[in-house]
Amino acid sequence: MTISENLFENLRLELRRGCLTLAVLAQLRQEYYGYTLRKALAERGLDIDESTLYPLLRRLETQGLLASEWREEEKRNKRFYRLSTDGEQMFVQLLEEWQAINASINATISMHASGKEDASGNSTL
Amino acid sequence: MELLHRYLQAVKKHLPWDRQDDIIAELKANLESQLEDKEAELGRPLTKDEMEAWLKQIGPPMQVAGRYLPQRYLIGPAVFPMYWYVLRLACFWCLVIYSIVSVVQIFNGGIANGTELAGAALRVPAVLMTTAAWVTLIFAAIEFGLARNPSKRGLFANAPFDWSPSALPPAETTAGYRKRPRSYAMAVTEAIFGFLFLAWLLLIPAHPWLLLGPGAFYLDASPYQFAPVWVQFYWWVVGINVLQLGWRCVDLVRGSWQGPRRIQQNTIQALGLIPLVMGLTSPGHAYVTLRHTALDQGVYGAHLNALNHGIYMGLLVITVIAVAHLLLEGGRLSLNVYRKRVAAAR
Repeated sequence: MTISENLFENLRLELRRGCLTLAVLAQLRQEYYGYTLRKALAERGLDIDESTLYPLLRRLETQGLLASEWREEEKRNKRFYRLSTDGEQMFVQLLEEWQAINASINATISMHASGKEDASGNSTL
Repeated sequence: MELLHRYLQAVKKHLPWDRQDDIIAELKANLESQLEDKEAELGRPLTKDEMEAWLKQIGPPMQVAGRYLPQRYLIGPAVFPMYWYVLRLACFWCLVIYSIVSVVQIFNGGIANGTELAGAALRVPAVLMTTAAWVTLIFAAIEFGLARNPSKRGLFANAPFDWSPSALPPAETTAGYRKRPRSYAMAVTEAIFGFLFLAWLLLIPAHPWLLLGPGAFYLDASPYQFAPVWVQFYWWVVGINVLQLGWRCVDLVRGSWQGPRRIQQNTIQALGLIPLVMGLTSPGHAYVTLRHTALDQGVYGAHLNALNHGIYMGLLVITVIAVAHLLLEGGRLSLNVYRKRVAAAR
């Protein structure tokens, strides 16, 4: 891996880290167990490694954002997760924050793009 | 399935004992479901190679288990800036104290040789590592305490750095420098050479050959000896060097090594006049005396007078040059101050 690829990978992971939590909280407004949650996120284009997602679920539960229960399904005991009351409140707050950041970034990008168009338009005149 | 079982067993070994069964049960259910899906997709069980590739893709057992553990620091980000600051300070002052103690010990022992000096120098890494280990240990204990009392974390991390923006040193401008600002490496090198010079200076009384070379042995065999005025002269020189070295060290610690050292240089030069004047005002301008005055006065008296006169003239010339240089620097400083005042008035 080159230095620039390595840097990209680090920055990508950093960028994804916060988004993953939000995506997991969003998905867990409905009940899932680890593997089906992973599949559901992957179907929506968000692939998460097993070794990232499963410990993340534990951590969010420890933080009181998720509630879990063991239940038998298809002859196998599975741990099902869903948002707790605190988790729902936190999700709303985080979603607002994320939307605000997203809007700011979009505004910055579109401003930069229109600035470029202006500049290129002027140069052709 | 057997490989999966072995994999889960390996993961379990790295998990905390109180949660390992629960975590493994959950991980097992998730991975078995995933495996079933894979096999359903293929319409057959996974081969050994495919199974290995899948488990490898999940990750090494220790790493997978590690993700379930809380983030652990020996020294966390809140405490680290202070730890780093104290570590540098402790190592620096430890080096200073160790150097001075070593030099004084060698000097007092009176039997300093290359082996002793080399031994003292070789002990420096061990001394620094011991200091660093103690500082790290203390801060690790603080971190441990704060992990159990997180409310104190912000308080601890901010309190020692209680600061006010208006108390910050004035902005350094490079525009007025005649030369490039001094680099950190240069400032450290100057401090190290300052220490070496001081060590050399302190060794001179016990080992005059360090200053006079072979002349020290001739002096021993000659009828001449240094007058007591040189002892006072010597200690003044030592004192001025200690002051200069201390000043440089303080600059290093305060992070102000880049700026010009005009005031420092002028102060040291002004203080340097004291031993020179002391020499010039020495009673009878006697810098060298005879060991056996009554015995050798007749033979060496004329040589002695010429020698003392030569030393006196030498000291006089040096003093005149030093005073002229100081006056010149004083004039430059006054001119700069005047220019700044005029510029500020405009």
